[in-house]
Amino acid sequence: MTRDLHTSSATKAPGTTGAPAARSTGWRRLTMVAAIAGPGLVAANAGNDAAGIATYASAGSQFAYGTLFFMVLVTVALVMVQEMAVRLGAYTGKGLGALIREQFSLRLTALAVFCLLLANTGLVVSEFAGIGAAFELLGVPKWAVIPPAAILLWALVLFGSYHWAERIFLIMSLAFFAYPVAMILGHPDWAAVGRHLVVPHVEPSKDFILLAVALIGTTVSPYMQFYAAAGVVDRGAKPADYPLIRADAVLGAVFACVISLTIIIATAAAIGGTGPLNSAAQAAEALKPVAGQNAELLFALGLIGASALAGAVVPLSASYAIGEAVGAERSVSRSFRDAPLFLGLFTAQIVLGATLAMTPIDVIRLLIGTQVLQGLISPVVLVYLLVLTNRRTVLGPAANGPRYRIAATAVVVGVATMSTILLGQTVLGWFGLG
Amino acid sequence: MAAHTLLMSTGARLRDRRVRLERRATASKAVRGSLVSLAGLVGGPVTNQAGEEVGRLVDVVARLYGAESYPPVTGLILRIGRRRTFLAADAIGKVHAGHVRLRAARVDLRDFSRRPGEALLARDVLDHQLVDVDGVQVTRAADLYLAPLVDRVVLVGVDVSLPTLLRRLGPRRWQARPTPERVLDWQAVAPFAEEATEGPPEVRLRASRTALHRLRPADLADILEDLGRAERQQLLGWLEPEQAADALEEMEPAELEALLREAQPEHAARLVDEMEPDEAADALRDLTPEERESLLTRMPDDRSAELRRLLAHREGTAGGAMTTLLIIVHRDATVAEVRARLAEQAEHRTEIDAVAVVDDEGRLLCDMALFDLAVAEDAAPVADLVAWRAQFGPPVTVRADTPLSEAADQLVAARASSLLVVDDTDRPLGRILADDLLDALLPERGRVHFRRFLQ
Repeated sequence: MTRDLHTSSATKAPGTTGAPAARSTGWRRLTMVAAIAGPGLVAANAGNDAAGIATYASAGSQFAYGTLFFMVLVTVALVMVQEMAVRLGAYTGKGLGALIREQFSLRLTALAVFCLLLANTGLVVSEFAGIGAAFELLGVPKWAVIPPAAILLWALVLFGSYHWAERIFLIMSLAFFAYPVAMILGHPDWAAVGRHLVVPHVEPSKDFILLAVALIGTTVSPYMQFYAAAGVVDRGAKPADYPLIRADAVLGAVFACVISLTIIIATAAAIGGTGPLNSAAQAAEALKPVAGQNAELLFALGLIGASALAGAVVPLSASYAIGEAVGAERSVSRSFRDAPLFLGLFTAQIVLGATLAMTPIDVIRLLIGTQVLQGLISPVVLVYLLVLTNRRTVLGPAANGPRYRIAATAVVVGVATMSTILLGQTVLGWFGLG
Repeated sequence: MAAHTLLMSTGARLRDRRVRLERRATASKAVRGSLVSLAGLVGGPVTNQAGEEVGRLVDVVARLYGAESYPPVTGLILRIGRRRTFLAADAIGKVHAGHVRLRAARVDLRDFSRRPGEALLARDVLDHQLVDVDGVQVTRAADLYLAPLVDRVVLVGVDVSLPTLLRRLGPRRWQARPTPERVLDWQAVAPFAEEATEGPPEVRLRASRTALHRLRPADLADILEDLGRAERQQLLGWLEPEQAADALEEMEPAELEALLREAQPEHAARLVDEMEPDEAADALRDLTPEERESLLTRMPDDRSAELRRLLAHREGTAGGAMTTLLIIVHRDATVAEVRARLAEQAEHRTEIDAVAVVDDEGRLLCDMALFDLAVAEDAAPVADLVAWRAQFGPPVTVRADTPLSEAADQLVAARASSLLVVDDTDRPLGRILADDLLDALLPERGRVHFRRFLQ
């Protein structure tokens, strides 16, 4: 709605000389970025939701600065993966769901759809668990909050008044921008931070692997690739806009990861080395340098905002991708009444998510568990992404070159290796061999 | 409560839809028995006359864009050992569910090269988007059905149902069994295979293309919004520019913006040129200045000058929402002459609901409703009607910079269906129609767009 504020004045700019004109073109390019860009940024930052915060805080409390180098690797992976997703969107004009259906056999499509649905339902569980945890910080039991929250979110999205709610949630989630400040005020050991950022550090313990997979899962969530591609397609971006879109995706990914790093460092400075995180209240400790006594309130606000924000986007993006793959394109852009499949999927995810979030399991374990699930599914979705971006029949000249192909394959293999090790350890653990 | 009614109405709609679909389906037993599922054929054995396996079927080639109403199968692509080869259709003996039997023991194999109008059914059509013209929706082909006739095999229908997808996920035994629950007649779909633009031009007016022309602009707009980028541009290419422009006028502004952005500039300029001036100006307003210029420079000069004038008005004012299509008559004209003028403008009938009558200076005297003209005598001079209308007071007009909300109040007070927009000297500039006012003032209702989460 803010579109012609600058454009109409730009056409009537009287007697501009060369230099300002050039500058105004630069400015216009910027507004163009704002018009087309955004999906990458939003998608990557939706990763800093309830489960994300829990995972990062847990990494900080359990291993202090130990996971920083691993996070740098994850950042590289996220940048590459998001770039591939938006490239597919910009060059084909189709969402990932549609591309997978057209390029793979039906069984493989079904596998991809199933994985996405599984991962997303796990995420929805974590969003509702996050809302529950936030209200428990404020002294309201979760069984009293989660059902109304689920119904409210469902109704808001369905009856089209989500628009305003979204802004409120967005403002609430800005509370997490207190983390960078908290990091600086918390006086972390900067030398150790610097060392851990560049020196590889991996612990062979099961806990570390588990957390590493959760970090992958929460950062490189399967739904994000679908979401970023859909966003690019929806904006009608052309191959010509690709440089802007790539910049947006890369910056978005880097920005999201920088925030993640500050959460880890701030938590490590506050409660590092105290062992596993055991409550949301403990995670809120990290914000003490900023908010003092109100740290828990601030943390709860951010948690509610971020969870509600993702709680709508996540089930929608899965329904969108599946609708595309099945061929019910109608459901994506039409009213919900025309779209039983879309409506059904969306409702089912919310109901299932809210129900599972009510289980009396420890919230932090539940949150990290959902992220581990994401981390296990992530490599499957990445393989699809990699195969699609390698195909010249799909992307033509924009397909991965030989060097990029090697790098991207290395990323996917790396992620898959971590997941496989974790799976192996878990299975061995069942037989008492872990 | 609202949710309850929503679910109820969804149920009712689904029931209606099922009834409609059952009527549409080719549900007769005889047809079902003779249909062969393409998904079941692909990967199945191809045997020679003696029943020995020659190879496995990879794909079926059909002439999709030919003169025939049902595309004939022109050949098969087989995998024999590790080689892929082409087999012309005249070697096909019998097509059963799940396997193909050839006419002779010896087969004449060639390398496949695509001829104009041909498409690979499994690769280009199955699982791809198509437009269901009767159901007015975009869907994906879950299966294709072939019918073996006496001397050839033709493609007769497309299956778009969810159960069929599930059938294809199952074991091979299920795959060959046709399940024509929701089969669309091939005549009623518009497929998008890669070869769509090739072939002789007269061929491109296939039955389904003409079926596309049956769609109302609003339905076409819905379909355009649902299609992928390449398919969308292809569909636009098939339509007459006038018809395409009518559909574009009905599209969501954001979708239209995306569509114009991704089209070839020449094509986009032609489409915008065909749109009604007020809608065209709205569409151009959404683009960046560079994009706007690139389209305007590709239009005829008079047209681009007119659009530039309209673009100078701000959105949300009467000038920004008006159409410049006016019928202006001098008061000395007779009613018959005015009728003749109207007859010339028949294609713009939706934009004209009154005629502006002016004096020698070109100043507005009266905004004459079509009803008044319809009941007047042919020979009567318009001046008489003007004099008669004068008793009801001066014509209600707005200025180009009047806010739309105020224009709406004026319209309600005047009990008219449109208002003239005039300049400072009372000369008519354009007309603002009730539906444009509604468009501008009504918020979007009850449509959920994924895009909303990205804005």
